[in-house]
Order: sequence, then structure tokens, then C-alpha cells
Amino acid sequence: MGFEIPKIRYTGKIKKVTLGYGERQVKIGGEGCYPFYTFEGDMPNPPRVAFEVWDCEPDDWQEWAIEPFRDVLHDPVLWAKKCIDVYGAELIALNLKSADPNGMNRDVEDVVEVVKKVAGAIDCPLIVWGTSNDDKDAVLLRRVAEVCEGKNIALGPLSEKNYKQIGAMAIGYSQVVMASTPIDVNLAKQLNILLGNLGVQDEKILIDPTSGSLGYGLEYTYSVMERDRMAALTQEDTKLQYPIICNVAQEVWKTKETRLTEQEEPRLGNEVRRSILMESVTAMSLLIAGADIVIMRHPEGVRLIKEMIGELTAE
Amino acid sequence: MDKHRIRFLPLDITYLAQDGENLLDFAMDVGVHINASCGGNGTCKRCKVRLVEGRVDFCQDQALSVSGHGEDIVLACQTRIKGDAVFEIPLESQIDRSALKSRKSPNILSAPDSLASLGGISPDPVAYKINITLEPPGIDNNMADSERLIRVLKNSHNMGDVKINLNILKRLPSLLRNSGWDVTLTIAETDMGLEITDVQVGNTPKKQYALAIDIGTTTVCGQIIDLWDCSKTGSRVIGESADYNAQISYGDDVITRIMHTRKKGGLKRLQEAVVKTINLIIDELTDKAGIERSFISHMVCAGNTTMTHLLLGVEPRYIMISPYTPAFVFPPVIKGGDIGIKGLDNTPLYLFPCVSSYVGGDIVAGVISSGMAKEGDISLFIDIGTNGEIVLGNKDWLMCASCSAGPAFEGGGISHGMRAAKGAIEQVRINKKTYEPMILTIGHSKPLGICGSGLIDSIAEMLSAGIITENGRFNRELPTDRVREGKDGYEYVLCYGKETQTGRDICLTEIDIDNIMRAKAAMFAGCKVLLDSAGLYFNELKRVIIAGGFGHFLDPSKAQIIGLLPELPLERFVFIGNSSLMGASLFALSREYASEAERVARMMTNIELTNNNRFMEEFMAAMFLPHTDLRLFSKTLGVR
Ligand code: FES
Repeated sequence: MGFEIPKIRYTGKIKKVTLGYGERQVKIGGEGCYPFYTFEGDMPNPPRVAFEVWDCEPDDWQEWAIEPFRDVLHDPVLWAKKCIDVYGAELIALNLKSADPNGMNRDVEDVVEVVKKVAGAIDCPLIVWGTSNDDKDAVLLRRVAEVCEGKNIALGPLSEKNYKQIGAMAIGYSQVVMASTPIDVNLAKQLNILLGNLGVQDEKILIDPTSGSLGYGLEYTYSVMERDRMAALTQEDTKLQYPIICNVAQEVWKTKETRLTEQEEPRLGNEVRRSILMESVTAMSLLIAGADIVIMRHPEGVRLIKEMIGELTAE
Repeated sequence: MDKHRIRFLPLDITYLAQDGENLLDFAMDVGVHINASCGGNGTCKRCKVRLVEGRVDFCQDQALSVSGHGEDIVLACQTRIKGDAVFEIPLESQIDRSALKSRKSPNILSAPDSLASLGGISPDPVAYKINITLEPPGIDNNMADSERLIRVLKNSHNMGDVKINLNILKRLPSLLRNSGWDVTLTIAETDMGLEITDVQVGNTPKKQYALAIDIGTTTVCGQIIDLWDCSKTGSRVIGESADYNAQISYGDDVITRIMHTRKKGGLKRLQEAVVKTINLIIDELTDKAGIERSFISHMVCAGNTTMTHLLLGVEPRYIMISPYTPAFVFPPVIKGGDIGIKGLDNTPLYLFPCVSSYVGGDIVAGVISSGMAKEGDISLFIDIGTNGEIVLGNKDWLMCASCSAGPAFEGGGISHGMRAAKGAIEQVRINKKTYEPMILTIGHSKPLGICGSGLIDSIAEMLSAGIITENGRFNRELPTDRVREGKDGYEYVLCYGKETQTGRDICLTEIDIDNIMRAKAAMFAGCKVLLDSAGLYFNELKRVIIAGGFGHFLDPSKAQIIGLLPELPLERFVFIGNSSLMGASLFALSREYASEAERVARMMTNIELTNNNRFMEEFMAAMFLPHTDLRLFSKTLGVR
């Protein structure tokens, strides 16, 4: 009798979510198996990488992070275009850094203006990442939902505190929301239930499980995502059957390991190579845990990850 | 007794009512909403209904209550049903019919009236009284008094080895002589074997009473039991009394109490505090029943492990430190005088055996009073108290666990929380359209606070009405003034100050809701883990027995809406009220229960939930209304 490889019995499926509009819209989700377990099930839409773009000129970036974008960092529109035209971006994640009350605290309308411009200038799907300040986001992201009408953008993070205000607008303007909870399966589920009760459609929800960088809590995110997927795919937990998005860039590039130069700490080796690897290894791990979208900063890291996705999803 | 047909308009539904039933209570029972915010006290005048036809009776101040209204307008809370009748509910009280349809049959459980129970059990107490007459000593028979006594016991009562302690010896010579050698002895089974604990002049064996006391972390309750005569009321329990445990001023829960014992003199202070409370309760019980303390033959106390330690003045500190070892689980039999109980110096005091640090004698008492350890079917016993305890099993095996639920269901940590006493709001309905409440208080008194059952009702009703969301947060956009921003965040006003005893508004805040959610999540998680450990599913339970002094009523469907109780057919739930006190009374009444207590305590296997990862997981999953796992509550959610 021949040996038969045991297979996992999947009883659930991740919901399909479409981002963007027109020709360049992107579909994610739909998988009926664990990440890249294509020998056991279907993974109709490969995971995607989104390029990070800021709404203002960063003032504390590492030289080697600035380098690929030096000519465009002063203008979010040019920056986004360069990601698409030069580096082949399929998705743009606009980070509204300047609105942060603990930073520049720029006025909502000024920030909304930038969002509008970027959204108008690109035709690939847009992700808008707020400040993670519940009150500011409640005002800001509502306006973002409004001005991006018809673009089917993803906006977030939505928390337990502001999901109602933002969620209601997202429904009104038919945008996708990113439901964000602090690394916990139950909390993630609860927010999804609340969004569902509010009237947000299933195909309009992404889970942001809160990401940690390699060396800074990645393992927590990893195991929570694993459990999200187990519950979703093998335990029919419908309230976890949503695609997952991880904001890798903002976590990785603030770590000490991406900041110290080789000169300052010879044992850590070349800083450029090291930083890119930090970002790609984090992204790779999260993809293997179940991420459907990873947001990344460095074009070289993005290239590595796309290659990996390609290889793992090849027939 | 005759039942009367009561029809409510414009809903046009008819229910059968008992003769003499209060109209507002009745409406609450059958699920008809009538606005009521003074708890049925007759002061808020909001429970007006129109008597279309039929006969009713009024409580005294009815005339006052309706002055200024047409004759046919009555206050429901002041109206007694005396015959078939039709009532019209005014517009401001009405709800839509759909809310009614969902309610198939009312299923509010009431706690058994303990004063009426125990009647059917024949007494066989651990301390009993016998009358003996002795031959007076003469020159030819000058045997010592105590030996003379013991010889009579041996020869005519077949009692071999009876001990007499020093206290009795001191009183013996004069007592015997004053009584003309006719005395009544109290003989108790103590750690010494059989022991004479009292000698009384004359023939008094039928004057024998026992005290049963439940020592709760929050509340101490006592009953006085007439061991031989239940003719007066048909009940052996001739008095009941309760008070806050005076230890409360040293902390709300067992942990803070244990911490207090580390302070200088702390242990003694706590012992004195609880003994003071017990003394007050005994005073009240004996005064009310008109009984002399000397006729109390024995006392039985049930308390959790910490309370048992503190009562005996034994160091409880290791209860709270891993690996959670109590000093003892089988307590010695002591005398009232050992711990300072007034007027009962030589009276034996029996304490229920405990199981572990966090499953104590109160639970053992609860289990014996529930009868679950005598049945083949598997039951789940849930004691909703300061420290939620659960027991699973049947006559062959028992597993138990304690989940630190916190005192929320006893009113602790809730801004207007209180124990289930007069004036406590215990039943609540909220109109889904107008968000107006219908509340009933214990004793129909002016509202003073909210007790556990009122909290369960309120949260379930607020959730069903959409006043709060599943995470326990207020919906801030509702067209009602009752949801408002208070000094502790958002809140719902159950009663306005003009209707309450204190003159202050009675509200439920988001913080209160959060505390209740924590308590219910801990209870549910504990049950889930215990069942999982036994490899059982909820639907395999034949009975779910709910105990606790959180109210006189429990509506299991409301408790399911908030996810406190598992989703099972309602007829499987039984509510037995303060089961610890009932167990103590049974122990006091019959030695059969005394030995059953020991058997149960030895049989229980304790599952430790402190530092238990599975418990933490389940707790987090239950911190939602009703639960994060919607499949566990699919029916409840469907109904809602
Ligand atoms: S007057 Fe009847 S409930 Fe207040």
C-alpha cells in the first residue's frame, strides 16, 4: 500500500477583498488553505506588497532608506509615482505621519488635501494609514473616506474606540477598513463582530493584527496570525475569515538594528544589507504566518519578497 | 386557588394570574412592559394603566396615588388582581409586539423560600439533648458527681465514653443539687468523641435550637432552626438575618483580607470583625424569635477557605502564595467561647470542611444542599459570589474550580451596587423604543441600589435595546436623556434622584459594565475549562444549579444574553439562592448531612485556575457580550 501524506481538512475560506478600481484593482484573500500550502488547497490570489509613502518629508530616515527616493521625498505624489513607475508598485500605502498629534500635528484638512492629490494621481489601489491616535483618526479618516469616494481604498487603523465613526463613513463611501487590535485573537474577532453589526460588509474588512519587527515581538504577531488562520480555516470561525495586512515598514525601520552603522557597531556588519534583510525577513515571516498584504519601504526588500512569493506560489 | 384572566391592550394578549398578585409583578413575569422607575413603591406614578373592565384591589395609598387622574387610571404597582380584568397600557409604555413574540414562555426562577424549607427532614443533630434523673448521693453511695452522671448515661442510655470538660465540671455540683438531680444534658459529637457541652436544670430536651451561619466574604447570613418543633409555621427555620461582613472595611476580597493579616494585629482584627458580625446576627435572630441563647445546642458555619481560617484566627497567608496551600481543610470542632461568641462559650461550633485554598466549606455546603452528589446525572453547580466557584459531577465524581470573578454580582465595585436587600433593584426591563425602564425593587421599596440580578437584567436589556454594544460601550447617539456623560464616563440612568432613597440618581456606568463583564467572563471561562477538563460539552449537562445571594430572582435567558450562563434549554436551570446557608442548616439539622459534607469534601478534585493559560484564553474570549465565540450562543443571538 502506498504512503499517503496526511492532509489537513479545511472547512473555511478567507473572504475575497478587492482594493482599488478599474484595470489596476487588486484582489486579495480567497485562500482555502494555510499560507502557501497549495498542495492542500487553493490560494487564488497571491499575497501583495504595498510600497510605503509618507504624506510629508521624513526627517529622521536613515541615509540608506532615503537613497532610493531622494529625488521625490519632498512630494508624496512624485514619491508614489516613482514607486509605481520605477519600482513596479502594485499598491501604495500612504502613511499620514504629519497628522500625528504627538508629532507635526498637521491640520486635518491640510492632510486630506494631500490624500486627495495622491489618490488622484495614481491608478493603483491606495491604502491610507492614519496616526493610530483614536480621536484624530476618527476625524481624519472619516474625511479621507469621503474625499476618496469611488476609489475603493483601504483605510485604517480602526480601533474598538473609533470603529463606529470611521466605519459608518466607510460604509457610506464604500471603502475597505483595516480593523486593528493589539496582538490578540479574541480582540480581533470582537472588533470584526462589532464592524459586522455596524453594517460593514464582509468583503470590506481587513485584519491588522498589529505587527512587531524581527527581534521586537515578531513571534507574538506570528503566533496570533497562525491562530487566526487556524480558527478561520479549520474551525469555521467566520469572524476571522478576513485577509490580513501587516505594516512592516514602520516597525522595522525604527529599530536600533536598522539605525546603527557598521562603524558604530562593527559586529552588526553592513548597515544597508542588514536593514534590508531585517525588513525582508520580517515580511517573509509574516507572509508565512498568513499575511495577505505587507507594507514595505525599501525597493530591494520588496524585490526579495516578491521573488519569494513568486517561488512559493509557482505551479 | 382561582386563576384570573388578565388581558392587556392594545397588545391584546391574555395571561393567567394568581388571585391577589400584584399587577406590576405580574406584568414583569409575563414580559409586558409598563414603565416603572420607583421599583413599585407607588411614588413615581409612572406605572399608570387604564382599567378597562374587571375587578381589582388597591394597596392603601392608591387613592393618593391616582389623584388627579380619571377614576379608571390605576398604578400597576399598587394594584392587586382580584378577578378577570382588562388593562390598557398607555402609549408611553408600549413596545412593539415583536418583542413579545420572541418570548415564548416566561421563565424567571425564584430562589426557594428558605423559611419554608427543611420541614420534611427529621432531625438527627450532631448535638442532642437528653433528660436524666440521678439518685442523690447518700452516705452509702458517695460517688463523685461526674462519675454518677456518666454511670447513668452508660447504664440507662447505653453511652460508653462521654467526656465532661472543665467548664461543665465547674458548674456541675451546684447545678445538680439546685435541680433536685433532674437535669437535661447536651451531648455533642466533638473532636473529643461524645462530650457533654451543657447541663440545664429540669426537663428541656424539646427546647433545642441550632444556628446555621454562612460566612461570606461580603455578607454574613444566619438562620435559627427549631430542631423539634415545626408546628408554628410548618418550618424549622424560625428566623433569618443577614449583614455585611464587618471585615469589609479591611478589603473587598479575600486577597486584600489576607494581605491585611500581614499587618501587625491584622489577623486578630479580622477575626474580631467577623465575630462581631456573627454576634450581631445571633442577637437579632434570638431577639426576633424570642429565644434564650442557652437553648442553642450547637452552631454550624460554612465559609470559604479564607473565611474559615480567619474565623479560627489561623494564618491564611499561604493561601495566596503559589502553590496555594491552606493551613487545614478539615477544621476542628471548637466552642463559641474560643473565638469570642457571646453567651455561647461552651456551645460547639462546627465548620464545614474545605477542599482547597479557593474552594471552601461554603461550596461543600452548597453541593450537599443541591443534592447533585447523590444523583447519577451530571450537574454543574455555579455559585455566583465574590469568588465564583463551580462544581461539576455526580454521585461518583466531583471536580471543582474557583475563578476570581470579583464581587460585582454582590454589588461590589459597582457604583450603585448593593447586596440583595430591601430597596435593591432586582428586576429590570427596558423599552426598546423609548429606552424607558421598568424596575422592581426588593420589598417594593424606594430604590436604594442595584443587586446582582438587577445588574444581569439591566445589562441584558441594555444590550437587547441597543443601548450598549457587544463590547459593553454605550451607544452615544440614542434619542434618550437616560444615556448621558457622567463624571465616570457614559452611563444609563435607571432611576432619577427624586425617585430614590438617597436622592441621588441610580446609574450604570461603562466602568460598572466592564466589571460585570469581567465577573461573568471569569465565571463562564471557569465553567468552560472545567467541562473541557472532564471532556464534556455543555449540552451533556442535565442540570445547571445556580447558587448565590445576588437576588431573589434569576432569569436564565437574561443571563444567557450576557453570556453568564451557557446556552441550554431553560428548564435545565435551577436557582437555589444562598445554598451555603441552606447546607449549613441541613448540617445543623441532621448528622447525615454532616457526614455527607465530609464525603463530598474528600471526593472533590480541585482544578487550579490561577496561572492557568487555558483559563486566561477562555476569559479573554468571554470578555464580550455574550461571547467572542458566537457559535456558543447562536440561539440567543438569533432570538435577539
Ligand atoms: S408608582 Fe408604580 S412603579 Fe412607581
